[in-house]
Amino acid sequence: MTAFSPDMAASVAGSRSRIGQQLVEAGVVSIGQLQEALRLQPVQRGKGDLIGSILVELGYLGQADLLQFLFQQFRKERLAYQVVPAEEGIIEFRGIEKILDGRRVLDGIDLVIPRGKITAVIGVSGGGKSVTLKHMVGLMKPTRGSVLVGGRDLATLSTKELSQVRRRFSMLFQGGALFDSLSVFDNVAFPLRETTGLSEEVIRHRVERALKEVNLAGMGGKFPDDLSGGMSKRVALARALVTEPEILLLDEPTAGLDPIIENAIHYLICDTFMRTRLTMVLISHAVPDIFNWCHHVVALHQGKVLESAPSWAIAQSENPVIRQFIRGDLEGPIQVI
Amino acid sequence: MTASIQRLGRTALGVIREMGRMALFLAKAVGYFFLPPFRPRNLLRQIHFIGLRSLFVICLTAVFSGFVLSLLGYYTLSRFGSSGLLGPAVAFSVIRELGPVLSGLMVTGLAGSALTAELGIMRIREQLDALEIMGIQPVQYLVVPRIQAALISLPVLTMIFDVIGILGGYVEAVHLLGMSGGTFIGAIELGMTDIGISLVKAVTFGLIISWVCTYKGFYALRGAEGVSQATTSAVVLSSVLILVSDYFITSMML
Repeated sequence: MTAFSPDMAASVAGSRSRIGQQLVEAGVVSIGQLQEALRLQPVQRGKGDLIGSILVELGYLGQADLLQFLFQQFRKERLAYQVVPAEEGIIEFRGIEKILDGRRVLDGIDLVIPRGKITAVIGVSGGGKSVTLKHMVGLMKPTRGSVLVGGRDLATLSTKELSQVRRRFSMLFQGGALFDSLSVFDNVAFPLRETTGLSEEVIRHRVERALKEVNLAGMGGKFPDDLSGGMSKRVALARALVTEPEILLLDEPTAGLDPIIENAIHYLICDTFMRTRLTMVLISHAVPDIFNWCHHVVALHQGKVLESAPSWAIAQSENPVIRQFIRGDLEGPIQVI
Repeated sequence: MTASIQRLGRTALGVIREMGRMALFLAKAVGYFFLPPFRPRNLLRQIHFIGLRSLFVICLTAVFSGFVLSLLGYYTLSRFGSSGLLGPAVAFSVIRELGPVLSGLMVTGLAGSALTAELGIMRIREQLDALEIMGIQPVQYLVVPRIQAALISLPVLTMIFDVIGILGGYVEAVHLLGMSGGTFIGAIELGMTDIGISLVKAVTFGLIISWVCTYKGFYALRGAEGVSQATTSAVVLSSVLILVSDYFITSMML
């Protein structure tokens, strides 16, 4: 392990580059290389930790090595969370009930989403996962109960205040929800052009950076119809990240993708998390794989929370519904046909 | 018997609920007319979409409507020896009635159905939800420019229809039926009231088309079938409302 000099420690701390510090500590790059990268850091804008990308650009680190390193760090942090789960929540559900077309979709849900962690919501189709996600951002209003974001009850907010709260969020929709008439570049630039007063030059810089982060550099001129499923998801992810949100919601980010692309998307989510430290909430059917990619899991069934716990605890759950779901058994409490 | 009354009551409540929801939708959209951010580029794009998309068909419909009106009018009036009144008859019918109504129906079929389908597809592809999460009000961003564009485009298209319809009637009467051009044109006496009625109708129809079509698309149900049903229902409801409101405007302004 490399020791930091007082000056270097101050420099690293000042840059808020946790990744840079970890890379040096692990001996992946030298202090000199990190210093050089840090000198370039101020010219970049945005909240994300870009040291890894800058080190790759400088040739001190391979892209695959960086990804591998980030994943290892993520795994360490995830394992630590299994032992000491975070207590601070950012989104809270209090007794949420939702009745849609006479059917009780959510049935008295109490839930806390931990701040700065990846939370996966799992459960059978029709169990209320997407409806839960839509309640988090105020796209749906509960029939009873309250949703608190950062301590503020969404039901008590005016339209303007709700818009402000929503700007803390971004969402990756199952189908991407990209605008067909706009190019990839314009799709990613859209929220910046419509909701910020940023100059076109700054927008171009941020869009190009976002596309690069999802490995789509140079694809800005293409249109959504020209893209594969995996590429569409990555463009949607770039659009979700370009506004630098505090909370990212992902509705089945790997649905309909082959296992290789699915894995690539999981790596991308992990990479994004490590660089941005966002709170992420994702719906996934990719069990048991998803337990390796998240800190916390919420298991929903028939509109109720069966368990909400660190992923390891859910993986080991004795609950027969959760066990059947994880194993994919045809027989059990979940009636398939 | 009780079941029938219950069904009738449920249907009536459903219709009232739908009407209330449509009224709130329009009120919300009109409220946004005066609230920033204003997006003139969006408005111009929609004027281009609604106006230009319908222009060719409007011109074609106008020419043939003028032909038919002139032809039928000539044979009817000549029976009573009043063929000299053909010009005013054609002009009066086109400006007061056929211009606004046929323009409205053509725009409904061409641009209105496209508006519904476009918004319906955006709904089922979750693009409207995506806008909301970005902090953009979908009604303000998508519906307001479409309503404003229809309110601007319909009167212009109606005026174009009026001019071309009368010219069509003139060509038919003078070049095909052998009537004197001076007789056709000279007898036409139109006042500002006639043009005013035409414009009132055009603006009303523009509002009906854009309101109904955007509403139906905005609340389209899930799936391709939902969009298809929304489009059909938007075209039918807009057409019916155009004809009904035409009757009431005509009765009030005669």
